[in-house]
Amino acid sequence: MKSYYDRPLLKGPHWGSNVVTYLFLGGIMGGLGLISLLSDDRPEPEMKKLRKATRYTAFALAAINPPILISHLGRPERFLNMLRIVKFKSPMSLGVWGLVLYSGAAGANALRELADDGVVPRMLKFVAPSATVPIQALLGAFMAGYTGVLISATAIPLWAAGKRHIPAFSVCSGAASASALATLLSTLQGNHDVIPRLERLEMAAAALEIALVADFRKRGGAVTAPLFEGRVGKRLRDFTIIGGIVVPFALNAIGGAFKLPKSIDALRSIAAATLTLVGGYVLRESLIEAGKLSANDPHVAFRQPS
Amino acid sequence: MATGFFTDATLCIGCKACEVACKQWNELPSDGFEFTGNSYDNTSQLSGTTWRHVDFVERESIDENGITASWSMLSDVCKHCTNAGCLEACPTGAIVRNEFGSVFVQPDICNGCGYCVVSCPFGVIDLIEAVGNGDDAGKYALATLHEDRLNDRKTALQATGGVAGKCTLCYDRQRIGMVPACAKACPTESIQFGEIEELRERAKRRVETLLERGVDARLYGADDVGGGIGSLNAFFLLADSPEAYNLPVEPVLPSTRQAMGYAAAAAAALALATLGWAIFRGDGTDA
Ligand code: SF4
Ligand code: SF4
Repeated sequence: MKSYYDRPLLKGPHWGSNVVTYLFLGGIMGGLGLISLLSDDRPEPEMKKLRKATRYTAFALAAINPPILISHLGRPERFLNMLRIVKFKSPMSLGVWGLVLYSGAAGANALRELADDGVVPRMLKFVAPSATVPIQALLGAFMAGYTGVLISATAIPLWAAGKRHIPAFSVCSGAASASALATLLSTLQGNHDVIPRLERLEMAAAALEIALVADFRKRGGAVTAPLFEGRVGKRLRDFTIIGGIVVPFALNAIGGAFKLPKSIDALRSIAAATLTLVGGYVLRESLIEAGKLSANDPHVAFRQPS
Repeated sequence: MATGFFTDATLCIGCKACEVACKQWNELPSDGFEFTGNSYDNTSQLSGTTWRHVDFVERESIDENGITASWSMLSDVCKHCTNAGCLEACPTGAIVRNEFGSVFVQPDICNGCGYCVVSCPFGVIDLIEAVGNGDDAGKYALATLHEDRLNDRKTALQATGGVAGKCTLCYDRQRIGMVPACAKACPTESIQFGEIEELRERAKRRVETLLERGVDARLYGADDVGGGIGSLNAFFLLADSPEAYNLPVEPVLPSTRQAMGYAAAAAAALALATLGWAIFRGDGTDA
């Protein structure tokens, strides 16, 4: 096959672990928005506890994630230049605005819970309308998905070929990771009654995720090799596919089917949640690393995916 | 009036005067020396600080006359696309289309997010590595506008790197009526600068002449290259297939994939929300 000394045609991403962390936490923020909506306005005490936990955590992540995003910039002091314009053609631009709006909604929801807990004057409860709950959930779906759109809408052949799959499994991975994080938090709080529901949500998200990843591999052809083969592929298989989806799914299924002794069940659920979180991180990391490898192969870049 | 480049591979002698002139005028630092062994090409690629790059394509054919080897050289450059992936992707609005129809990176706006880098279907634009703010701060003082050059060499410049860089089509020179440095330096007029329409006419006549003479010649980017990109303001006359010069045969404008991406994400979110609703609130006790 003809090429120019096999030199790369494209330039790969300069993104490192800070971007991976941003994508991972962004996915969790998205999933927490959904759980916060699902647990909203319920009479059961365990749901009330879950609601508060997700809202405080979402707000905390909304505070942590922007500095992580800023740290990857070549000129961090110019971050605010991203807020000069809104650009519908740029997922990076829309994403930054999504992050800003999500943080606002998450802040409003956290404020209402703080007022409810009496930490701040109860009057403040009326400052933030409850419409911010579904709004946070909607923006959360955007937060979890736009990063997938962002990488698909590039020239990198692997990412481009995944325009149907990557955004969808990013959303699933975000929801699974958020359920896992909420499980860990609920375990810490001793809020055990809510865990079976979180684990079922995690299983649903994981099942959809693995189906989409498998379909991507099947349909993507040679372009997907950097993601599924070699060093990156092995890591993805060990930590995400097996360690982060199959094993936690099995553990959660066991937890749902059998009544295990309390302490063993707690260990089981902690293990499943931790593995899911690691898998979610490695998924994002593999996507970025495989993107770099994909950019280095000129043969897949001569005819770019539509 | 849109201006651009017509770069003709059949006239290039591989002298690299364009590379040197560009580096000098734009005060671009060296990318370091690497002996590649790939013909006479030790530049290898365009980069944030290399805005012209001469490809050295070596061709060999064996027939009854023995082995014949031939070279084809081509000076590659940013294409200044009609629909530019880099420009669309840029979240700060640093990349704009200027009054000459060129795609221009405003170095004082860019925050180095790197999204343009992965959004160029031709692998042109790249980040310029950040250097310290100390003594070597001036190392990456790239030229931008003529006024800045005269007044304060560092203000609007990419003084400390960390931003994206690519060919400006010599915006500063064009503003004072000068021809871009590479075109000025090219001794064979392999690089021609001018008004796009006129260049296209010239290029089409040139191809006809070459084909009459039995030379393999084709235009790249004078007309729509497909994939939503449109024509290129810097287009080429090639003497071989595009791959030979590391040019994509079917480039695609990345933003065309967005609608599908958002739809896929929305479908997944909707599916999960429905399942979640059933799991959390499907017990009939909805408050
Ligand atoms: S060739 Fe690449 S860097 Fe140049 S205008 Fe087109 S998209 Fe932008
Ligand atoms: S690196 Fe600079 S020019 Fe490129 S997309 Fe980001 S802000 Fe725009």
